[in-house]
Amino acid sequence: MDFYKHIVQKLAGEVNAKEVSPQQIGEDVARRCAAVHEKCNAFIKFDPELIEKGIKDISQKIAQNKKLPLAGVSFGLSDAICAGGTTTTCASRMLESYRPPFEASVVLKLKEWGAFPAGKTNMDEFNLGATGKNSFFGEIKNPWDTEYTAGSGAAAAVSSRAVNFALAPDGCGELRHSASYCGIPALKPTYGRVSRKGLVDVAPSLDQIGIMAPSVLDLAAILEAISGYDPEDPTSFAHEVPSYTLLLQEKENIGPFKVAVPENWAEAPYLEEGIKKAFLETLEYLKKENFQVQMVSLPNFSHSIVTAAIIRAVEAFSSLGNYDGVRFGLRVEGSHLQEMYRKSRTEGFGSNLKQFLTFGALISAGNYYGRVFQKAQKMRTLIIKELESCLQSFDLLFIPAVPFQAPLLSSNDKACLLPDPAGYYTAAANLAGLPAITIPVPAESVSGSAGVQFIGKAFDEAKLLQAGLLLEKENPPRFPNV
Amino acid sequence: MHEYETVIGLEVHVELLTDTKLFCGCSTAFGAEPNTQVCPICLGLPGGTLPLLNKKAAEFTIKAALALNCEIAPKIAFDRKNYFYADLPKGFQISQYFYPMGRNGYIEFLVNGKTKRVGIHQLHLEEDTGKLSHIGDDIISSPSSRVDFNRAGVPLMEIVSEPDIRSAEEARLFLQKLRSIIRYLDISDCKMEEGSMRCDANISIRPVGSTEFGKKTELKNMNSFRSVYRGIEYEAERQRSVVLSGESVIPETRHWDEAKGVTRAMRSKLVSADYRCFPDPNIPPYPVTEEWIQEIKKTIPELPDERYKRLTEEHDLPSSTAEVLTSSKELADFYDAVLSVHNEPKTVSNWIVSEYLGLLNAAGMDITESKITPAGLGKLLQSIAKGEISGKIGKTVFEEMFNTGEDPALIIEKKGLKQISDTDTLSRIISAVLAANPQSIEDYRKGKKRAMGFLVGQIMKETKGQANPQLVNKLLMEELNK
Repeated sequence: MDFYKHIVQKLAGEVNAKEVSPQQIGEDVARRCAAVHEKCNAFIKFDPELIEKGIKDISQKIAQNKKLPLAGVSFGLSDAICAGGTTTTCASRMLESYRPPFEASVVLKLKEWGAFPAGKTNMDEFNLGATGKNSFFGEIKNPWDTEYTAGSGAAAAVSSRAVNFALAPDGCGELRHSASYCGIPALKPTYGRVSRKGLVDVAPSLDQIGIMAPSVLDLAAILEAISGYDPEDPTSFAHEVPSYTLLLQEKENIGPFKVAVPENWAEAPYLEEGIKKAFLETLEYLKKENFQVQMVSLPNFSHSIVTAAIIRAVEAFSSLGNYDGVRFGLRVEGSHLQEMYRKSRTEGFGSNLKQFLTFGALISAGNYYGRVFQKAQKMRTLIIKELESCLQSFDLLFIPAVPFQAPLLSSNDKACLLPDPAGYYTAAANLAGLPAITIPVPAESVSGSAGVQFIGKAFDEAKLLQAGLLLEKENPPRFPNV
Repeated sequence: MHEYETVIGLEVHVELLTDTKLFCGCSTAFGAEPNTQVCPICLGLPGGTLPLLNKKAAEFTIKAALALNCEIAPKIAFDRKNYFYADLPKGFQISQYFYPMGRNGYIEFLVNGKTKRVGIHQLHLEEDTGKLSHIGDDIISSPSSRVDFNRAGVPLMEIVSEPDIRSAEEARLFLQKLRSIIRYLDISDCKMEEGSMRCDANISIRPVGSTEFGKKTELKNMNSFRSVYRGIEYEAERQRSVVLSGESVIPETRHWDEAKGVTRAMRSKLVSADYRCFPDPNIPPYPVTEEWIQEIKKTIPELPDERYKRLTEEHDLPSSTAEVLTSSKELADFYDAVLSVHNEPKTVSNWIVSEYLGLLNAAGMDITESKITPAGLGKLLQSIAKGEISGKIGKTVFEEMFNTGEDPALIIEKKGLKQISDTDTLSRIISAVLAANPQSIEDYRKGKKRAMGFLVGQIMKETKGQANPQLVNKLLMEELNK
């Protein structure tokens, strides 16, 4: 019964051919999800009914001999993304009982293709980081070693193979951080490639829904499923969706690519030796594979995380202004309106979130608006210009994913900092709206691997996947026993 | 002692006549049950707030900006105005701060026969808030309040005048002209009673001849043209009293109390709200091309000022008549339509202004509800011109037409009102009347002109008013002078 290990297209084929039944899958997935939830607290709450309902729908369709491209494929859905039949909490007490009256466009699409959500995965409150310590629903543990953080329940569920893939938001790199901590590939698409309708707004100019999966081929298959213009998302683009899986099968045309590496990449604060070593080894491998690697000067790249943190904080303070206890969510009564607001938000939001929102409120007020926020917007433009100019002469940018391996849950040294040091290498892709992929390569770490990252041109996910596939061939993914 | 002049600027909000809201498909129909015209977007539900711009609302706003002689913004861009209040579901209002749709325009209107120009500082598009109703007087003193979000998200056009207005009367004339233009464009029905047109005033006073502005107060809650007039008058007088008694005017928001006829302080304006405006990241800017502007220009009808010019210059109508005729599009269109049947501008305009408006006002009716058609009035006037009926009889016929909507020819026929213009018939009647009133003939020959009038009266009585007055005069004169 190792169908859970099959790539999604193979699994769907087996289900369509009735070699594997949806019920079998349902039982298996439920068992594995229960196990990873027990070990890692991967879900907001483990809800076998959600799985049952999903399986029932698919069974009906299979019984009618419908052929579904992702039949029987299970996925973890970050609790920042709206789905029916359950709550969407964003890991916050504020939304503990929130049941949205609609589903995210990506979820509707995946269900249409025969996939089913196996559970809402745990996360940092409103996805402000991948510390695993800022969820109202408890810490998120790494399946490799529960003393360490998984970063997100999505990464824990995918790496322990409880689900075939997961969808999670990426605002400054959280998707890619947690994937690195757990040793799995992840892809953040180009801004506008995937609809954000149903993703709870935090920083709308930075946020994107991304994919975590056990293999690059899986990433390609899911990207194909969820990409495309959505009339309900005015920031989604009408770019044609290529068949990423077919492009990956063209073994002839893969690479060699021209790859740029920022010359000061090693200046990242908190950069660990293990990460450095893994990155350099991978660089050598790329050169061996005839990739043209060149050091480039990107002087503003190192300012990405500060810039992104400022913009994110201002947008988040604005976007979270609807949490006031009036129409939904937690309401704590007060003797007048202001008091109701204050009490509801004080008790509804966690302390890390409150600190971040206060920062956002401060730097967008009075004199700080011009001195901090507008400066950050200008810096953003500079960073974008720098990256785009670089990518005119190169196919890809190559950098580490996170300066450090999965932090210890008991340690606070990297958990409560502003800006989040984990985002040093990842925030630029959010600022510029460019696609990015992280691939695990061998390293001395709790997961036995570290993430390395490619950033590509807008809508050039195909090259990212191809480069990822190449690395994956050399370093087949490893998974913990749960 | 200084003479003080009043300096007034007006902020007018106009609800646009679109079928749906500014950023979602909810209906804008007035009078529905509370919270029945709402959706995740206008309610600001997490995951559901991606705004979808209503193109018609944008077009209406560009149309208004053109009609008010504004410079049009190069792109349609929206910003977030962030603050907390119970009628603001998202915690921010989507408005236009950086790129209002129109800038630097003007409106002209007649004040005591002279043309006055008031500048339009800017015109922009934004969404309306929900409606609050308090169990007590206001949100502070009420034990509870209710909020209806049907109105939240309805497109509002805000027009801000320059502080060029100098009296309550000018303010009233400004509003009338603005309303007239907007109704001509058919983009709003501008009914203050229904709230589709709202007006706040900024009022200050300064010594005549001074170019500096005095401290201003903002006056709200004026719900009719009359309130605006009375409110401004009261406030200007109040400020004069304050200054003349040696005190300074406190800059604050004041509330017009219609019942008591006074203004009352609401809250201090010393600390202005920090709205932290920034471009809404969920709404990509939309280009305003020259082609689009030209297309919209073509849909603008002949506006009041142009019509006024045409009526006074080409049709040679007196200015007061032209003003009345152009005050409403329906009236002006009616005038033009009658002219196309009976091309006598002076006659037609006089009939409309005195007879028609007289009947409409007496019946409390709007021209759109009237049974009179342009063809009807045109035919009536032709009958009079041809001498088929007298002008006096014509008025009777017109009244009948107003009440029944019948064709004038039919009414004349039915009631046998045709004017008697047959010389033989009239001569007989004149002879008869003269024979019956020898004293009058005497009086007339002695020089009493009034006797003539008496005789004409008798002739009219005999003919039930149907004798052709000009012919009667002619024939009678001939007889009397024999």
